[in-house]
Parts: sequence; C-alpha cells; structure tokens
Amino acid sequence: MVSRSSLASADHSPQMDQAAAEDLAGAPAQRDDGPRIEVSQLVVRYGDTVAVNDVSFSVRRGEQLALLGPSGCGKTAILRAIAGLERPASGTIRIDGELMHSSADGIDVLAEQRGISMVFQSYAIWPHMSVFDNVVYGLRVRGLDPATVAEKGDWALDLMHMREYAQRSASKLSGGQQQRVALARAIAFSPNVMLFDNPLSNLDARLRVEMRVELRELQQSLDLTSVYVTHDQEEAFAISDRVVVMNKGRIEQTGTPEEIYNQPCNRFVAAFVGAANLIAGRVQKDSREPGRIVFEMAGGILLQGHAQHAPQGDETQVAVRTAHVTLAAPGVADGPNAVAGRIRRRLFHGDFIQYLVDWPAGELVVRRPPTDVFEEGAGVVVSFAPEHCILLES
Amino acid sequence: MSAQVIALITVLVLAAGGGMGSVAMAAGAGSAGGLCASPQTVHGFATCADIPAAEREGAVIIYSPDVEQGTAKTLEAFHALFPKIGTNYVRLQTGALYAKIQAERQARTYVADVLNLSDIGLVFDFEKRNGYQRYVSPQMAAYKPEYKSQPEGNWTWGSVNIGGIAYNPKFLSGDQAPKRWEDLLDPKWAGVVSVKTTNSGLQHFVWYMLTKELGADYWQKFAQQKPHAFDSYVQQFDLLVNGQDKVAESAQYSGYLEYKERGAPLEFVLPARGVPAGPEIWGVITNAPHPNAARLFLDWFLSPVGQKPFLQALHMHSPRTDVAPPPGGAALSSFRLLLPSDWQDFLASRTAFNRQWDAMTGRR
Amino acid sequence: MPAQGVGLSARLRQLWGRLASVQGVTTAVVFIGCGTLVLYPILFLLLESFNTGDPVAFPPERLGLGNYRDLALDLHIVGNTVLVASLATIMAVSFGFLLAWILSRTDVPGRRLLERLIELPYYMTPLVGALAWSILAGPKNSFLNQLWRATGGQGDLFNSNTAFGIAWVMAFFEGTVAFMIISPAMKSMDPALEESSRILGRSKLQTMLGITLPLVAPAVLGSAVFVFAEMLGSFAAALVLGLPARFYVITTAIFESTFSYPPEYARAAAMGFALFGVMFVMFSFYRRIVSRGVHTTITGTAFRPRAMAMGRWRWMLVAACWVYVFLAVVLPLAALLLTSFQRFATVMVRESVFTLANYRTALQLGPIRIALMNSIFLGVSVATVGVLIMTLLVWIIYRSSVPGRGPIEYLIMFPQAVPRMVFGLAMLWAWLNIPVPIYGTLWLLALAYFTVLLPLGVRTLAVVVLQIDRSLEECARMCGASWAYQLRTVTVPLLRPGIIAAWLLIFMASVREVGASIFLMGPNSKVIGPAIISSWMSSGTELTAAMALIQTATVLIALVILLRSVSMISGESQW
Repeated sequence: MVSRSSLASADHSPQMDQAAAEDLAGAPAQRDDGPRIEVSQLVVRYGDTVAVNDVSFSVRRGEQLALLGPSGCGKTAILRAIAGLERPASGTIRIDGELMHSSADGIDVLAEQRGISMVFQSYAIWPHMSVFDNVVYGLRVRGLDPATVAEKGDWALDLMHMREYAQRSASKLSGGQQQRVALARAIAFSPNVMLFDNPLSNLDARLRVEMRVELRELQQSLDLTSVYVTHDQEEAFAISDRVVVMNKGRIEQTGTPEEIYNQPCNRFVAAFVGAANLIAGRVQKDSREPGRIVFEMAGGILLQGHAQHAPQGDETQVAVRTAHVTLAAPGVADGPNAVAGRIRRRLFHGDFIQYLVDWPAGELVVRRPPTDVFEEGAGVVVSFAPEHCILLES
Repeated sequence: MSAQVIALITVLVLAAGGGMGSVAMAAGAGSAGGLCASPQTVHGFATCADIPAAEREGAVIIYSPDVEQGTAKTLEAFHALFPKIGTNYVRLQTGALYAKIQAERQARTYVADVLNLSDIGLVFDFEKRNGYQRYVSPQMAAYKPEYKSQPEGNWTWGSVNIGGIAYNPKFLSGDQAPKRWEDLLDPKWAGVVSVKTTNSGLQHFVWYMLTKELGADYWQKFAQQKPHAFDSYVQQFDLLVNGQDKVAESAQYSGYLEYKERGAPLEFVLPARGVPAGPEIWGVITNAPHPNAARLFLDWFLSPVGQKPFLQALHMHSPRTDVAPPPGGAALSSFRLLLPSDWQDFLASRTAFNRQWDAMTGRR
Repeated sequence: MPAQGVGLSARLRQLWGRLASVQGVTTAVVFIGCGTLVLYPILFLLLESFNTGDPVAFPPERLGLGNYRDLALDLHIVGNTVLVASLATIMAVSFGFLLAWILSRTDVPGRRLLERLIELPYYMTPLVGALAWSILAGPKNSFLNQLWRATGGQGDLFNSNTAFGIAWVMAFFEGTVAFMIISPAMKSMDPALEESSRILGRSKLQTMLGITLPLVAPAVLGSAVFVFAEMLGSFAAALVLGLPARFYVITTAIFESTFSYPPEYARAAAMGFALFGVMFVMFSFYRRIVSRGVHTTITGTAFRPRAMAMGRWRWMLVAACWVYVFLAVVLPLAALLLTSFQRFATVMVRESVFTLANYRTALQLGPIRIALMNSIFLGVSVATVGVLIMTLLVWIIYRSSVPGRGPIEYLIMFPQAVPRMVFGLAMLWAWLNIPVPIYGTLWLLALAYFTVLLPLGVRTLAVVVLQIDRSLEECARMCGASWAYQLRTVTVPLLRPGIIAAWLLIFMASVREVGASIFLMGPNSKVIGPAIISSWMSSGTELTAAMALIQTATVLIALVILLRSVSMISGESQW
C-alpha cells in the first residue's frame, strides 16, 4: 500500500532521508528506473464539458514536470486527479507503480491515503492554528510521537526560514510568509511526491522570482518528484526539468524547456511560449538536407528554415523567436536569411530593447540587448539562423 | 464494517429506543355500575377509589375549559391533600377541547383522565360513544337527578353557570342600563355589545332558552346589533371595563364575581323573566391512563371538600345544596333559572345554533 | 485500446465502498432522518385535504377535491390575507430599504448602535408586538386614544384591530428581515458608482433613487417576495388583532376551523396545503432572484463603502432612525411594561392601580412556570442536537460530492414554505396516527421545532461553510487526514462562530415558537408561546403582558450572549 510506504518514509529522520537519497541515487534500486508518476489516457469531465481529454505522461524519479497552459486548459484538473481530489472519468494513475486510480477496474484510492503532498494556490493556511501546528499537522495525523513531531517540524521550519514564527497565530502572516509555511507543512512529513498548484501566482513579481529559485533548490535537495502547474511560462521553464504544454484539455508538446523554446511544434506553442514572429508563406517541398526546408514568404523571398518532421507541403507558417533575430546596419554583415527592413518604432524595456521593424512580410518584432541601439526610421538588415526559423505544423 | 460504523449504529439504535414521558396505554378495567360496598372517608369526603392504586399511578390529568388559573388552584388544593398524585390539565374552549379529545381517541391515544364539558350536546355525544367510564361515586347521592346522568355514574354537573347581562356603571347609569332581554335590541347598543362564540356551551343555552322564551326573531333582530364574539368571558369583561363595549350579553355570573373581587366597576342584571343557566359537566373517561386517580379526584371534586376551593377559584355555583355560594354571590335558589325541558330538542338545535350564530358573528 | 467505460459491477462496488464508510452511513442516516421529518407530515396534510368524509376518521373514508373547490367560498378570507400581506410588504420593504440606505451609505452618527437596535423587533416576535399595539392603539380606550381625547380630539384616532393594524405590527418585524436582506447588498456596492453619479451633478436623492435602488434591486425584490411569502403564513398578529374585529386571514381561519366543534380538519388541510403551494412558489422565485444577484463572499478585498456626507440632512435621517426604533421597540415594550404592573389594563391611566401580582402569578403559577421551563429546555436541547445534525447536513450538501445533495437541499428548505401552524396541524395527524408514543410529550414538540427550524439553521451554517475556502479542507486530506479527522480538526473549529450563531438563533426561535406548538402541546408539554395566547384569550391582558415580557426577556438575554460571543470570536482572524 502506498500509504504504508509513505508512512515508512516518514519514520526516517531528516538526516537519514538525505543520506538515503544520496545512497539510492548512486545505487540502482528496484523501482528506481520506473517512472514515479504515471498518468495514462486520463479523461476528466466537469458536467458536460471535457476538461482533460486523453492525456498521458510520466514523471521520473526526482524530476520536476511543469504543466503549462492558459487557464481552462485542464492542467489543474490533472493535478487534482493525481492528488485524488477529483475523480477522472476514465484513465489510470499510478504512483510508484501502485495503482491509485483505474476507472476501468473501479479502483480509486482516497486522497488522504495516497501519501503525496500538495501546495495550494491559496496556501490553505489554517487560521485557527499556530504556524507550528499548521506545519506538523501531517505528522500528527500519522500518529508520530511528540518528540519526532517537534523535531521534524523544526527541521521543516528551518528549511523555510520560518522557525522564529513557530508560535505565532497563522492568521497574522503576510502572503509570502504564508507561502513558506505552506511549503514547510508540505515537506514536513517527507513525502516523495509533491504537487504544486500555482503556488507563486498570489505573490508580487519580485517575490515570485525569488521564491522560484528557492523552490527549485528545495525540490532538488529533497529529491522530490513533483508536478508543477502554472500559467507563467517563464516560471515553468526556469525551474522544471520537463514541460508539458497544454491547451483545451490536450497536450500540445512535451519536452525540455530548451526543446520547447527552440523547436515549438505548432502555432499555439510558438505563440504561447516566449515571443515569436509568425511568418506566413508556403513551404517548398524539395529539401537538400534532412531537417532543412525552404520557405517562400511574401515578396517571393526565400528563407532557410528548419523542420522537426518531414514537411507535408501544406504548412503555411514559420516561427522566429524575437530574441533570435539580429539587426545590422545595411551592408555591414550578410548573414543567413538576411532581409532589408526599416525600424518603425523602438521601445526601451530596460533589460532589452524591442524594435518593431517594417519588412516585406509586414511587421517583425525584434528583441535586442540594451546595447544594440538603432534609431527609429533607420534602415536595417534583419537576419536569423536557419535553426531558428521553425516550420510549424498546420 | 469498521468499528466506527458499528459504534455509530449502536448509538442511533439506543437513541431511538429511549423515550421520555410516554403515554401509557392504560388497560382501564372499569368497575361497571353500582356503588362500591364500603366507601372509605378520607380527608373529610367519602370515596370508593382505591387510594394506594391511585397513588401508585401518581398523576391525574384534567381536560377542562375553565380559566387556567382556576383549574390550577383547584388542582393545587387536590395535590395538597394527595401529594403523591401529580396534577396537570389542558385548557381549551369546550368545542376545541372536544375536538382534541376525539382526535386522540380516534387514534387510540389516551391522555385525559377526567373531562369537563360545558356543552350538554357534546356530553351526550361522548356518552353515546362510550367515552365516559361509569363510576358511581358516593358523592353523587347529593346531586338531584336532573343534575346527573341516567343511569348515574357517567357524568355529573360540577358547577352551574348563569348567563345574564353585565355593564359598567361608569359609562352607563342605572336607568340607561338594560333591564330586560328585549332591551338589548335597542339600536343604541349596536356595535357595543358582546357575546361568546359558538364554542361556548353557555352561549348555546342562552340562545336556546331565549328562542323558547322570546321567539326565533329575537336573534334575527339581535344580529343587527353586530355583536363581537369572544372565546372567553374575560375578553367580554375586559372590554366592558375599558369602555370599548357597553353591554355584555350572556355575561357569566362567575366572571362578574371574579371581576368584582378584583375591584372592577361592573354591575350584573338579572332580568325578571329569568336567566339561562348551563352546567359544567364532569366525568371520568374510559381508557384513562390513571383510572384510580381519576376516581379519587372525582370523589373529592364532587364532595363539599373539593367543591369549595373549586368554586372559590372560579366563582361558580355548586349544584349541591349543602355548599355555600361563591364569595360575594347570591345563593342559587335566589335565581330564576331557565333550563331546557327537552334535552334532546336542545341537542338537536345545535346545528341551527351554529349556523345562525356563525352568520351573526361573521365567522363565515 | 483504452477502456470504453466503467463496468456496472465496478460502479456498484465503488458505490458500496463509499457507502460503507463512516461518511456514507452518517450521510444516509441524516438524509433519511431529515427527509422523513419534513415529508411525512406534509404527505399527511395532503391526504387529509382530500378527505371529503368524516373529518375525524383516519384514514379518510372518502376522497375528493371538494375541499379545494370549497376554497372558492372563502375568497373574502383570501382577499383579506392578500390585503394584509401587501400592506405589510410595502411598509416593511420601504422601512428596510431606507434604513439600509441610511445606515450603510450615509454618514449619520451612531450607525453601528442603530444597526443592532434595528434588529430588536425581530427578536420580540409578532405576538408581543401585536399585544403591545393592541394596548397602545386598540379602539376606544387604548393609551394613544386616551391621549388623543385628553388633547381635545373626538372619537378614535387609532384602531389596531384592522388590516392596517396587523400590517403595521408585522411591518416592524418584517422590516428587520428586509433590512437584513438589503443591507449586505448595499454594503458591497461599489461606491464609485454612486460617486460618479454625484460628480455628474445629480442630487443625493436622485442618486439614491436612480443609482442605488436599481443596483440593489435584486435584494429589494428578493426581500419583497420573501416578506410577502412570510406574511401569507403569519398567524400571531392576525389572531390577536384580527379576531376581536372578526377579521380573518387564512391562518386564523384555519385556527378557527380546527379549534371548534365539529372541527373542519379537511377544510383546514386544504387551505393549509394551498397556502403551502403558493408560498413554495414564492420562495423558489425568491431564491432565483437572489442567486442571480451578486454573491458576497468575503475573501480578501471587498468594496469599502464610503459614506456620503449628508450635511444638514444627517440630523433628520438620524432622527428618522431613532423614531423607527422608538416605534418598533421602545413604545411597545413600555406599553407592555406599564400594563403588566396594572391591576386592570386599559383603564384610564390616571386611575390605574399598580401591583406585582401579575408577575407573581406568572412566575409562581405552576403551569406558567412549567411552560417557561419547558420552552427553555426545548430551546437548549433542540439547539444543541439540531446544530450537530445541521452541521453535518450543511457539510454534506455544500462540501461533499455525495449524489442527491441538490434535492436534499431543496427538501430542507421545504418547512419554510409551510406556515408554522399548518405544519403543526400536519405533525399532529402524522404523529397521532402512528404507534410511536410521542404524542403529547416534549419529544413531539422537539421534533416539530427541529423540522421547522431546519431552514434557519442550515441557512446560517451554510453562509459560514461557504466562506471557508475548500482548499483548507482539501489540504488537510492531502496531509493524510481522514474525513472524520479533518472535520474535527479543521472544519468544525472554523465553523465555530457559525455554530454558535446557529445555536442561539435556534434557541431563540424555539422559545418564541407559537404556531406549531399550539397544536402539539399536551398536558405535560406546555410551552410559553401558546400559553401567552391562551392567557390572552382567557386570563386578561395584564397577566398576558407580564408573561410576554418574561418571554421577551429570556430571548433578549440569549441575544446579548450571542452578540458578545460572536464579537469575541470575530475579533480574531478574518479568512
């Protein structure tokens, strides 16, 4: 039973946990090569609407997987299904190889028995308890003796730098502090699997960026396997090992952040993840090298591009990241895919400059470092590498 | 199933099983007919009841339309003599009381031990339905035959109510006040005269006897006075005292005495023709939950010992000749009582009474 | 191939697994229990309304629609009822709206105190109000008419025994209800909307009528519907004020039908059921209106209502509020107080003889004391047990995913649509005719109170439950807590203010109860509400006044405790 195994892990002292983690990382154990979380053909319905439509993915041990997408894409539904708070219409969910849910076999393990931990968007701090009582709730539920409870509680509070607030009433904390307490509570009983539901969205921008890093450190040091739901692309990319991009209940693309950024497979991913220019045109079927394509855009200009899969012939768009476009004065350099244009507007953002460039295909958005200064109205040559000109599926 | 579930169900079963104040379905084995062989005298009155059994029963319940304070004081007096017997009562106007007891009996739920009704029609009805438990009390010998059931033992007159005319001398001088029943038809009393509702037994008596004496059109003319109808004499007299009404017809003599005792300015008129009178009729009920206590109570109540506190509390007259009139009141023998000669005819007139009276008082 | 669907046996196994848990058994018991309590008497009522044979026989010998057809004969009673209800509704909603506006959108001083005082008439009950106004403004020799004549007036200026009199008394009671419905809507309005109207140059009055009123229209309309429905079923005031003037409404007609001989149970049942039908439709309408309006959940930033400065008008508005409090609370209580010390009520005041006898009687006379004790005892028991069951019910309805909770929520609100006395009558038959010996005992009253107060308790607790974010409970589960553990450690502590409020509301309502108790009392189960009415009908106004004041005092003491404990707790966290 998963519940027993999670109880077993809670018996280990914190030091033991880390040592054991290091131990196991080196030596192959029985279930280590298998994925920790397996979601297979999951369908979740809310009344008549299908929130999650046949989604499958798995999360390896120690990996942090982000579920990224606009609101309503089903990412939270998946998370809650894994947690056991939502009942899928069909599909299976396994954790550590144990079947948590199988619609076909009528198996559905109660959320409280799955042994996994969750951090909620609203933190869900219990206002009628002290910070300490909040943090050790999970330990007390498991019937541990007061000494162990205090020890683990202190450890978790220390990790989140909230030790001095231990006896304070939980209702008198700021947003950021509540966040930390929520995290401390989630890790106190040393779970193996963590679920994050938009944990940073209620914080202000600066705090969000700081906490991101802390979360990543936490996840790595405790070797947590986690699923992280967010609609913030930067956040998802910054701290996850792999990302699943979702839209309207379906998976659009799965991969590492670099893969998704550099090689978006379709228009949605390209537009949702990072800023991209979408250039309309026609792909030419003949290609000399595998992966290379020739794309004819407006004005008959031919672009050298890159395709993940063999082009069908009906694709009509390529995507070029705004950060991948370079600008040069006319005649200075002659790179691949060089096209002449004129700078219509320059917007200084501080860490970067955004240029709106008029070129034969309309408007090109270019993002350059703040040192790369051009005047509005100046003529420029834009260019980008063929690997950065991605053919999108139609 | 888990232990928690079993515990839960056990608790629920126990809770459902426990009860509080249950109504005992008495197996009232009545002693049918005849005075008992050796009545014993206790606290100054003769009784045939089994006193130890009564005390074991521990309670007696009276259903009576009398004013609550009066009934409560009466019961207190009984309880003082028999501390082991708890007393309780239900007070409703006669009609409502009868409806209640009928509903209960029809559902075979028995709560009342002793019943008091001021409507002879309902008494006969109840008798017909075998509602009264026949018990011949040694006290009944002191009651004239017309004041008890035939054969005796089912019911007995507990008190006599007299209905006359009352007014407040502060608002009416002696010569302005009505002297005869016919005087109430004077238009100057329109809208300021009160009567009682059809629920009142005494009201039926007044209606019947005045119809007999003065003819059917008396009430038709009286209807034009637009009288107010009340559940209780208390409301009638209250309105007399504060001047909202000028005269009360079918004013209860006992109410008049009660108010006079409290110092209210009231006068009572006894028309020369006579005053209708109506009894309050008491009897023990079949299937009573406390049959022995009921018999003991009735014996006490019908004796001078019980009649005294009762009449004092309620200011009524006793049918017994050996009991003094209520304080401040004249002896019964000094009234010219109008009583029905044909009780069946009187009973049969009930429907007509209800119809005419309801129409007159605007209930329908 | 992915599995096509879930097998039936698998589904059944799942269902059984959920049912056999502690949660499942508790849910089943609570549902069945409450469903029975609510539906069983109503079915009896329905059955009896079709009885065209002997009214006392059960089961009915003949069935037919005759009783419903005969309702047409009583149209003038229906007309009376609608007249009184309309008058009362118009007055109550006007009072409620104006008071809500004054107390939440203007800057009159002493707002918080006034808000507390405005709620008082509700706890004073229509019965007490009716008695008081009958003493104050009854025809001929009431206090006000005496005053009028003393200053040279002729005849009667006031007469409380009219449709208007009944409506007037009820308007204060229902005015508080309307106020409590409209006020939150006023408070959660965006003040910027009013301010932009003022910036554009419209006067405060124009703003109030043109902007504020339409914005809170759902609440106003909802309160009108609610008040009208409650008026249809109101009883005590119509009894005290209407009966002496031979003015009948449906509830008092039902009362008369059943409290006379021969009793007209079937006619009463038909009237009662018809009334239930109408009220049910109106309450459903009310819920539809209110649910379309803005939901006020208190999570984080709500609008801060900025008070409009009223300048000179402040004093007029404050005065208006205090006049309302005077008329609704002070004057009636003073009249009752005076009367309770008199030997003879409503005699010329200067000739009054004063005495303590009434209070002595009220407190010493066995039956009255017992009635008061019974009422308090019932109040405590019903509140305690009721709150436990209702908490469970509320959690099941609003927090669980058990099937059938929608219909149960509807069912629980049924008793609100049944006038109390109709329900009392229905319970009388229902329980008289089954072999469980609770007739005439306090158990029967306890059941009746619990059933008719279900809507009140569930509503109060539901408001608090809905304010608790779901994630607080879900998090407990994710930490490994079972359903029972989570309820005990998270839900119930968070619900505590709601539980206390519900307990006290149920206690107060039990002590005040009249309509249902009137039918269900027995010799050993007398309670104070009907005792007051019985006293009014047979013992005179002075004693009745004393009893009414004692009852009011009991309720007010409980109210004070409520306010103090709630403010103590809400001084803590806000979540």
